[in-house]
Amino acid sequence: MTELILSLLLFTQTGLEIAERVGERLQPKDISSTAIMVLANSKGKTRTSVMKLRSIDDNKKQIIWFVEPKDDKGVAFLKIEHDNQESEIRMWLPAFKKVRRIASTKRGNSFMGSDLTYEDLTNRNLSENDYKYLKDEVVNDHNCYVLKISPKPKAKSDYSHHVNWIIKESLVPFKEESYDKHGKLKKVKSFVFKKIQNYYVIKQISVKDVQKNHTTNIQFNHIQVDTGVDEKLFHEKNLKRLPRN
Amino acid sequence: MKDSIKAWFTHQSLDNSKRTIQVVVFLSLILAMGLSGNILFAFKGLGTWLLSEEKSAQIFTSAYDHFATQLPHFIVDEDMMKLLPQTTEERITWENVRREFGRTDMAFIAFGNRRKSIFNGESLACLWDVSHALEEVKEVDEVLSISTMRQMTNDGGFLEISDLQPSRNMTMDEVEEVERYLNKYPRIKKRIVSRHNDYVNIMIKPKIGIDNSILRDKMVEISGEFLSKYEIHYGGVPYLFGTLPTLILEDVLILMGFGIGILIAILALNFRSVAAVTLVWGVIIIALVSMMGFMGWVVTLTGSEKFHFTMVNSTMPIILMTIAAADGVHILTKFFRELRKQKHVEKAIRVTMDRLLLPVFLTSLTTIAAFLSLVFAPIEQFTGYGITVSLGIAWAWLLSSLFLPAVIIHHKWDLKSKAITHLSFIEKIVSMYGRNVVRFQKVILVFSVGVVLIAAVGILFIEVEVDFTKFYKPGSEIRDSVDFMNQEMTGVMDIDIRVEGNLKSPESLNQMQVIQEFVDSHSHVCSTLSIVDIIKQMHRTIMDDDPKFEIIPESKEKVSNLFTLYSMSGTLDDFSSLIDYEYQTGLITALMGHITTTVIIEFVRDTEEMIQSITNDDIQTNITGILVIMRELVYSVIRSAFTSIAVSIFMIFLISWVFFKKVLWALLSVTPLVSAVILNFGMMGLFGVDLSHITAILSAIIIGVGVDFSLHYISQYRNTAKSVVSLDTLTREVVEDVGYPIILDAVSNMGFGALLFSVFVPIQYIGGLLIFAMVSTSVATLTILAIVAELMKKRLTTN
Repeated sequence: MTELILSLLLFTQTGLEIAERVGERLQPKDISSTAIMVLANSKGKTRTSVMKLRSIDDNKKQIIWFVEPKDDKGVAFLKIEHDNQESEIRMWLPAFKKVRRIASTKRGNSFMGSDLTYEDLTNRNLSENDYKYLKDEVVNDHNCYVLKISPKPKAKSDYSHHVNWIIKESLVPFKEESYDKHGKLKKVKSFVFKKIQNYYVIKQISVKDVQKNHTTNIQFNHIQVDTGVDEKLFHEKNLKRLPRN
Repeated sequence: MKDSIKAWFTHQSLDNSKRTIQVVVFLSLILAMGLSGNILFAFKGLGTWLLSEEKSAQIFTSAYDHFATQLPHFIVDEDMMKLLPQTTEERITWENVRREFGRTDMAFIAFGNRRKSIFNGESLACLWDVSHALEEVKEVDEVLSISTMRQMTNDGGFLEISDLQPSRNMTMDEVEEVERYLNKYPRIKKRIVSRHNDYVNIMIKPKIGIDNSILRDKMVEISGEFLSKYEIHYGGVPYLFGTLPTLILEDVLILMGFGIGILIAILALNFRSVAAVTLVWGVIIIALVSMMGFMGWVVTLTGSEKFHFTMVNSTMPIILMTIAAADGVHILTKFFRELRKQKHVEKAIRVTMDRLLLPVFLTSLTTIAAFLSLVFAPIEQFTGYGITVSLGIAWAWLLSSLFLPAVIIHHKWDLKSKAITHLSFIEKIVSMYGRNVVRFQKVILVFSVGVVLIAAVGILFIEVEVDFTKFYKPGSEIRDSVDFMNQEMTGVMDIDIRVEGNLKSPESLNQMQVIQEFVDSHSHVCSTLSIVDIIKQMHRTIMDDDPKFEIIPESKEKVSNLFTLYSMSGTLDDFSSLIDYEYQTGLITALMGHITTTVIIEFVRDTEEMIQSITNDDIQTNITGILVIMRELVYSVIRSAFTSIAVSIFMIFLISWVFFKKVLWALLSVTPLVSAVILNFGMMGLFGVDLSHITAILSAIIIGVGVDFSLHYISQYRNTAKSVVSLDTLTREVVEDVGYPIILDAVSNMGFGALLFSVFVPIQYIGGLLIFAMVSTSVATLTILAIVAELMKKRLTTN
């Protein structure tokens, strides 16, 4: 009986309410991990990078150091998202011993040659999108909400809309389809989350650009949460200091 | 030919004439069914022209097209690459490079107005519209123009990869900024803006495996929609090849029209009989349709690209028309002569067939042998050409030997008509010639041999030319466009050097730069591009736009950092046509303007030698591109021409030896041919007619058609020798008897003159040279062969 009442309550939720609940999900204060990113083009050729990552504030501040490929060891990347102004992105080029700012004005630009754009990596602002609940669906034994997310003009998005499958139990995304401005399917993303302590933390992201037939697979390892990452770490000078672990 | 076989043919054609006509027509219809798909498409073309757009859309639906493509049909093709064997190293490299980097042969649209700068808001808005419309075309892989290009800028340490033209409508300041950026990078500017800034270029990279003609139509349609205020020029291999199928079809139809007109006029003038002209035409039409149908069947059943209809094949219908006419001309002429004597149709046709079955068979067999010699030529499509024409000739022989006498015997001939009772004008001339050839034999022989020897000198001056842009007449719209592209823009011919190695290593990149600089230094090269340019540009940009850093960085870590930096705000797809995904293979592309085939050969050879001298273990290279393909084609053309001459003459020699049972006859049968081939190539050299993959087919045609004259002469000589009383009158009688049909045959071969009306320059040359060849082979038969036979008559008439 309780289940029936709960499901009726949930059924009456709007898309926006579900999105708000997803946004309110408990997040760790900080995350540390290593990531292996494998890019594959339509001819099956691959490029692999290994990175160390630190982030706080739900990824709004993020620092990444490259460990592999060997020629790029030490290249580092710092991103700081601001609520009311453009994000800051800086990059350390060890071979040139220079820090360079990167343009972030083009939200549709690809990140590191991957199928993820800065827009894909930025948290969605609830006020800049319309959320529409479509239906419930069971996918791979997961009970999901299916939402249609349509960016408003002020969001300056490269997409016309997204269809997002959110696992009811954990309120984490399971899959997302993104459609280009002409309404054609552009990307299919799938996510694997892992429960660490009380948090659901991302373990794997797979993206396929169906138009270019290009894929990106990012696997996160050695994930640690709430280890007390200092906010001062997210400073330009720390780009040059590749952490040992 | 054995008497029993001869008797069978005579029996079938004359005693079972009705059945023979039915069987031959039925078999021809089966062959012609190979054209069913083409006929349906022709109906569609006619319907669309006659009916309203709405009505024709209702009738000619996609299901109609699908049905038509399922039926047997021949395919019009324009891909020059298919001329080369699939195992050729150059073709393999070309295909590998395409797999790695996509197509390197670009299509171009240039527009503007002379002496008016293109750097204004309105022109750039039009450029934006055209470029973005082209990007939506499914045959297009990539469009490169000011409107689609990315720029690298440094603004206070800020590396920005952004669109060079950020929006359709630009302010004057923004336009000036674009111009300033391009002036900073002249290598890039050269590719997309003309020398005087008055034309802008759009480079279109097509997808692999598309139909170039669809791309070409869309290029023209889109340009027409947006660029009505501008002068438009098109160019590039995909555009030229895309234009070819329609041009080829139109050309074939026009040539056939002229061919039919010329042949009808010649036959009518000489036969002075509607029935005779109609009969010869019946044979021609049935043979032609059967041959084209055969081509359709082979393509449908085997999928062989060798049987695709290309520019090389444009001459095919005219060639068959004239060859098919020849047998009919001989039979009808002989029939008229016999009818004049016998005054009885059946008797006349029986004598005619008895005398001519063997020579008609022999001439067909030797002509087939000459055309089949093309199978040994390295140019792939010569195989299809040779086999298809051979089938056409075989069919024409069958029609002449069975169908034609069967129809002749059914026709009611007016024995009092002038055609039968009076000698024609040509017959009278030949009779006079027969007397003189014996009288002045030595003078004529010395003169003829002298002419051949003088012409032989011309062979030394023959030049090979395979530049397909020169196949269009100067002054034609296409040729003017290509000339414009060559003079004002970057040119349309590409040469590409594939470099393999660690392309993040400065050592490899420096070697690549040396190669690129060498290519760039050639006077015909208008523009080159490689990943080295991009790396140098990135280096300069991140070093605060200081021009002294427009160099290859000194460490591979720096090169790697530059790529990584770029990937933070650009997409590495921007370089996909210059470097592979793993930075192991790069491509140097160069675009060139007008370049002769001789210069192509030297340039490719010099580049190969230079690369060999500077490269070490760090990099490996392959050269490809249209230029290399053309260089290979040059060798194939020369090999094809000589192979077909050698094989066909040898085969004709063998066939003559077998049938005439005397080496001397075999030698005499090829003598006029050798003389004609020497004369032909000599004339080509003396009059500056280039040898190309189109004109290379000439020797096979000359030998195949020209052999008929000598074989008819030898057959008649042997026949007359058996019955003649005195050897003194032998040559005169032979010339009188066979001279007229030989001359009439040669005159009716003036149908080749139709080729002079082709839109393609080499086909015009073929037309002119074939007329000359028909005159030279027939005259050589009636002079050199006749006089040599006269001089050796004692040896020739003894068993």
